[in-house]
Amino acid sequence: MTIEEDSSGVPAVPEERATDGITATGVSRKFGQVHAVEDMDFHAPAGKVTALIGPNGAGKTTLLLMLASLLAPDSGAVSVGGLDPQRDRAAVRSRIGWMPDTLGVWESLTAREILTQMARFYRLPAAGIGQRVAEMLDRVRLADLADQPARVLSRGQQQRLSLARALIHDPSVLLLDEPASGLDPGSRVELRIMLRQLAQEGKAVVVSSHVLSELDEIADGAVFVNKGRTVKQQTTEEAHAAGRRYAISATDGAALAAKLHELGLAFRQEDGRRPAVSLVLFNDDDAARLLRDLVLAGVPVSSFAPASGALEETYMNLEGERR
Amino acid sequence: MSQTTDTQQHATGSGRAAGYAAGIKDVVVLELKQRLRARGWYIMLAIWFVLTGLVTWLTWASWNATQAAQRSYSDFVPAQTGPGSMIFEVVLAFVLLFALLVAPALSANAVNGDRAGGTLAILQVTLLQPGQILWGKFFAAWFAALGFLVASTPFLVIGVALGGMTPGHVLVALLMLAVEVAIVCAVGVGISALAGRPLFSIVVTYLAVAGLVIGTLIAFGLGTGLTQGTIMANQAQYREYQPLSNGPVEPEYTCSGPLREQPAPRTERVAWFLAMNPYVVVADAIPYPERTGQLGFSSVGAIENISQGARFAMAGPEGTYPCANGVAKPRYLGQATPLWPLGLGLQLVLAGLLMWLGWRSLRTPAHRLARGTRIA
Repeated sequence: MTIEEDSSGVPAVPEERATDGITATGVSRKFGQVHAVEDMDFHAPAGKVTALIGPNGAGKTTLLLMLASLLAPDSGAVSVGGLDPQRDRAAVRSRIGWMPDTLGVWESLTAREILTQMARFYRLPAAGIGQRVAEMLDRVRLADLADQPARVLSRGQQQRLSLARALIHDPSVLLLDEPASGLDPGSRVELRIMLRQLAQEGKAVVVSSHVLSELDEIADGAVFVNKGRTVKQQTTEEAHAAGRRYAISATDGAALAAKLHELGLAFRQEDGRRPAVSLVLFNDDDAARLLRDLVLAGVPVSSFAPASGALEETYMNLEGERR
Repeated sequence: MSQTTDTQQHATGSGRAAGYAAGIKDVVVLELKQRLRARGWYIMLAIWFVLTGLVTWLTWASWNATQAAQRSYSDFVPAQTGPGSMIFEVVLAFVLLFALLVAPALSANAVNGDRAGGTLAILQVTLLQPGQILWGKFFAAWFAALGFLVASTPFLVIGVALGGMTPGHVLVALLMLAVEVAIVCAVGVGISALAGRPLFSIVVTYLAVAGLVIGTLIAFGLGTGLTQGTIMANQAQYREYQPLSNGPVEPEYTCSGPLREQPAPRTERVAWFLAMNPYVVVADAIPYPERTGQLGFSSVGAIENISQGARFAMAGPEGTYPCANGVAKPRYLGQATPLWPLGLGLQLVLAGLLMWLGWRSLRTPAHRLARGTRIA
C-alpha cells in the first residue's frame, strides 16, 4: 500500500498549448550574474486556478513579472491569449490583472478614488466607471470603507483593495503574487471562494504562494519551481493520486506500531508534540480500509487524518530530492 | 516617440494625441491628489510666504533707514527711483533661490519614491505609456512648485506698487521663474527615474542645481583663463572730463594709431557657461530701459548688471575691448542680442536629455534594470 515517490522527475509539459490563458515557453531572465529564471515553462489555462509553488527565491516573482509584461525575458516567449506582450502591449495589458506581493497602495487616496484612477488608466469608458468601481467595492466588501483614505485600512482590507484594483478592467488573466500572505483565516476562506468564482467565470487565475494547504483547496493544477527552473507541473488530481501522507496517533503507541507491522506497512515515527506515526496512502479508500482494520484490531486510535495537503506532499518530496 | 510635447501632439489633431494627453492628465490628478493631501506642502508654503514677506519687509525697512540716515547727515538727496527696483530685485533673487531649492525636493523622488513604495509598477502595468507617467509626474511636480511662485507674487507686486517697475516686469519675471522651476523639475524627475534611491536622486538634483548656479560661474571663471588670445587694437584716447556737458557721452574715447596685437581673454568661448546660469537667464530676460544715452551706472540695478556682465562676456574682446579693430566700443550693450535664449536652450537640452533617459528606464517590458532595483 505504500508507494514509491513519483520518480518520473521530468517536468510534465502538456504537448498542445492552447491559445487561451497565459503561457511562458522556455523563458530565462538573469539579473547580473544571478539566473533568476532559467528556461522555465509555464501554462495557466483559462477557467482554472493554477498555483505557482516554490521556495523563497525560486523565481516565482520574476516569472510573474514577466507574465505581467513588466519584465522582458532574456530569451523565451510569453503569450497571453496568443498575443506577445512585446508587440501587442496594450492588448496584453488590458487582458492582464496583476496583484503584486508588495501592496503598493496610494495611502492618501480613498479606496473609491484608487479604483477610479485605475479604471481611467485602463481607459474604461468614463460613463461606466462609477458603477464599475461600486461593483468592485461590493465584491471585495469594501463598500463601507470606500471613502476612507487607504492608510486607515487594515492589511487584509488593503489586500482586498489590491485585488479589486487588479480586477477593475475585468481581465481574462489574473496574476496574484502571494495574495494570502498576512490574511486572517476568515479572509483566506473568502479569497479562496472568490478565486474559485473568478476561475468559473472563465479567467485564468495564477496564484503564487508557499502556503500550500490553502492552494490544495483552490488550485486545479500546480507548477512547481525551484532555483529558477520548472521542476514539475501537475494537476491537483495527479497530486492526490500520487498519494498522501496520513498521521495516526493512538493512546497505545506500541499496539498501533505492532498492527501496522502486521499489515506490512512502512511508517515513520513523527517527533511532534504528541506521539504519532505517519505513512503514505494511495487514496481515500486505502485510508478508510486502514482505519477500519486498526479499529477492528482494537488499536485505540485517537486521531487519523491527512498530515499534509497533496501539493505540500509533492513540494516536500521535491525539496527532498534537491538535498 | 512619447517625448514630443503636448502642443506638438495637439497640432496633429488626432484622437491618439488627445488620448495621450488624457493619460498625462490622469497621472497628474493622481499625483496632485496625493500632494495636496500631504501636510508638508502646506507647511512649506506657509514658511515660504512668511520668509518672502520678511525679506520684502527687511529690504524696504533697510532702504528707508538708509534714506533717513542720508537725509539727516547731509542735505544731499540722491535721485532714486524709489525702493521699488531694489525690493523687486531682492525679492526676485530670493524667490529664484528658494524656487531652485524647493523644486528638487518636489520632483526628485517622483519616480523612485513610487518605486520604493511599490506603486510605480501598478501604473506601469496599466495601459499608461512610460511617457505619460513621466510627463504626469513632471507636471504634478511643476504645479506643486508653481504654488510657491503664486505665494510670492504679492511681494513682487509690492515691488511694482512701490514704484519704479511696471507690471510687465512682474509678468516676465514670473514667467521666467516658472520656466526655470520647470527646468529643475524636469531634471529632478529625470534623475529620479534613473536613480535607484530617492535620497540619492534628491542629492544629485541639488548638485545639478548647484552646478547651474555656482558651477557655471566657476567654470566660466576658470575657463576664461584658458581662453587667452589676442586682439588687434589701436590706441584709445579718452576725452577730457566734462561734468556738465549735455552732448553725447558715447563714445568716451577716440581710436587712433596703428593696429597692434594685444592680449585679451576670448570670453565669448566660455560665455555659454554663464548663459546657463538661472540667474543670468532670468535677469537677461527681464527688460530694462536703454541706457546708451546716459552717463554713469549709479542707478543701475543688480538685474541689469548681471545681464550686462553676461553680455559683455558673450560679446568677447571683439565687442568690448577698447579700440578693437580700431573701432570705439559702446560702454553699454543694448538688448538687441539677448543671451537668455542660448542659456535656456542649453538648460532645455540638459533637462530633455535627463527626461529622455528617464523615459527609457520606464519602458516596459523592461530589458535592463538598474543595479539592485526591484521593478515591483
